[in-house]
Amino acid sequence: METQAEPEQAERAVAFPSSEWFERLAQLMKVNRALHEHLGYIDCVAQFTVLDGGLGGKPWSVQVTFEEFEATDVREAGPDDVARADFTLEASLATWREMIEVIARGRGRPDLTHTLNYLSHPGTPIRVWSQDPLRKDLFFRYNQSLQEFINASAAFRTFFEG
Amino acid sequence: MSQASRIESLRPLPSSRSMNEEEVARYESEFKQYATKWAEILDRNADRMKRGSYSLHWMNTDKAAWGKRAKPSSRGLTYTDVNHVPGYGVLPEKATWLNFAPRGSVRDEYAAEMPIVDDYTLVNRDESWADNVVTLYEEAKARQWNATRDIPWSELERLPDDLEKATCQLCTFLTEVEFVAGDFPAKWLYRIPQDFLEVKSFLVTQLMDEARHQEVFRKRAIAGGGLLHASPGFEWALKAIIDAPTHTMGTFLLNLLGEGLVLSIFRSGEMIAKTHVDKEIFRRCLQDEARHVSYGELELKNYLDHAPNREAAVEEMHRFADVGEQVILTSFTEAALVEPVAILLGGGLDKIDRGMEGQGRLWKMSVEEYLQRCDRAGFDRRGRCTIPIESPWGQN
Repeated sequence: METQAEPEQAERAVAFPSSEWFERLAQLMKVNRALHEHLGYIDCVAQFTVLDGGLGGKPWSVQVTFEEFEATDVREAGPDDVARADFTLEASLATWREMIEVIARGRGRPDLTHTLNYLSHPGTPIRVWSQDPLRKDLFFRYNQSLQEFINASAAFRTFFEG
Repeated sequence: MSQASRIESLRPLPSSRSMNEEEVARYESEFKQYATKWAEILDRNADRMKRGSYSLHWMNTDKAAWGKRAKPSSRGLTYTDVNHVPGYGVLPEKATWLNFAPRGSVRDEYAAEMPIVDDYTLVNRDESWADNVVTLYEEAKARQWNATRDIPWSELERLPDDLEKATCQLCTFLTEVEFVAGDFPAKWLYRIPQDFLEVKSFLVTQLMDEARHQEVFRKRAIAGGGLLHASPGFEWALKAIIDAPTHTMGTFLLNLLGEGLVLSIFRSGEMIAKTHVDKEIFRRCLQDEARHVSYGELELKNYLDHAPNREAAVEEMHRFADVGEQVILTSFTEAALVEPVAILLGGGLDKIDRGMEGQGRLWKMSVEEYLQRCDRAGFDRRGRCTIPIESPWGQN
């Protein structure tokens, strides 16, 4: 489903990975509220990890808290924060980049081989994991909402450093 | 001959027994037997009405939790919000109200005149309760979707013959198996007393989910070419679920194991989908399925945690699982399931071997997920699991 952005913000490019990039998605979730209301509640804390996205090629992580139809909190996360997340999606920068670029080309709709589920189901290139299988299942319970959350990145330009 | 006399001269039609003679006779007999109870109520009411008198006893709030009003949270008025009001949220460990009188209503003083519903046999809370059932019920309502309207059917593309047949066979399998997850809870739903209304409500959402899954896969197959082959292996797995001796055992086999494996198939279905229509179908379904799996995990955990003799309860579950796993395995080794998935995974009939290799990797992951869910429920199957960790075709 094609997502909408406020015109004045649509042209400003945002770096990936960064908290700002995910905050931009959180803002778009408000803009696209009708779509998310149609999909239903989403209540979880999702961690997105870019395995080589930090300084010196180290991992970089952000945690996004979803409540009802909004992303209410976005914060960078360190190794000690992992228990706060219900589940983690981790992949290399190249994988995230390819997925984001495909979604942008599809104007908010990934092709058949770049959905979150496609990329994560075999365990690679995206690995979804949690210390608790019940909390990991939240990734499946809210899969469509999470997909639309990421799809909204097509509404603004992303640039990749390095 | 006048019209009237012609009718009078006709012989009466031969008398025929009612098609439901015995059932109706039993019903008559039963309610005549209880006539002193309900007929007294009827007479009393009729007498009062004849006198032009009002009772207004129902306005008496002495024994009610009256006036403690439920307040909505940000997402509306949920069962959790209502259950926080004193007088409404306490579930009995054992239901003694075996009729429809609502939990929290003024009902004690009417007990002697109320009937007993003999079908309410699942009277212990720990035979059906799960700590996440209220959350799952609210989530299920919020995340309902419509298989007629929410799937972009007009975008359905024609696939090469081998891929279309494989897709339609996979949909035939799913059409065949999905509604056992409706029939099984339905079989137990009417046995759960009204005091456990949250469980009953959640099970109704599961019924609706499964109706929609059966609908969407049937539609997808018929829109793409048609339904293909039913399979005896599927049928035995379904029978093993529906015939499970207890609600908890059947919920373990259906929700935790069966739906856990079907969740993997839905995830595979989304991954191997050759059209956006199919991706949307599988993504929507896997969300519903994951809710059912979550209920199964915590229902089993709650049952074992509260069993009077945990060790014996665990051993009994193991005995059941030893059989159940094998029967479910029969279904998941059927050619009518394994081969179409392999063709879709590989990308065509000529690449079926490659698809089987990929499926072998997914098998291992699915079995590990099953064992993790058992662990989470406090049911360690790792030493006793009868489903091979490696796929049967990957062991050669």
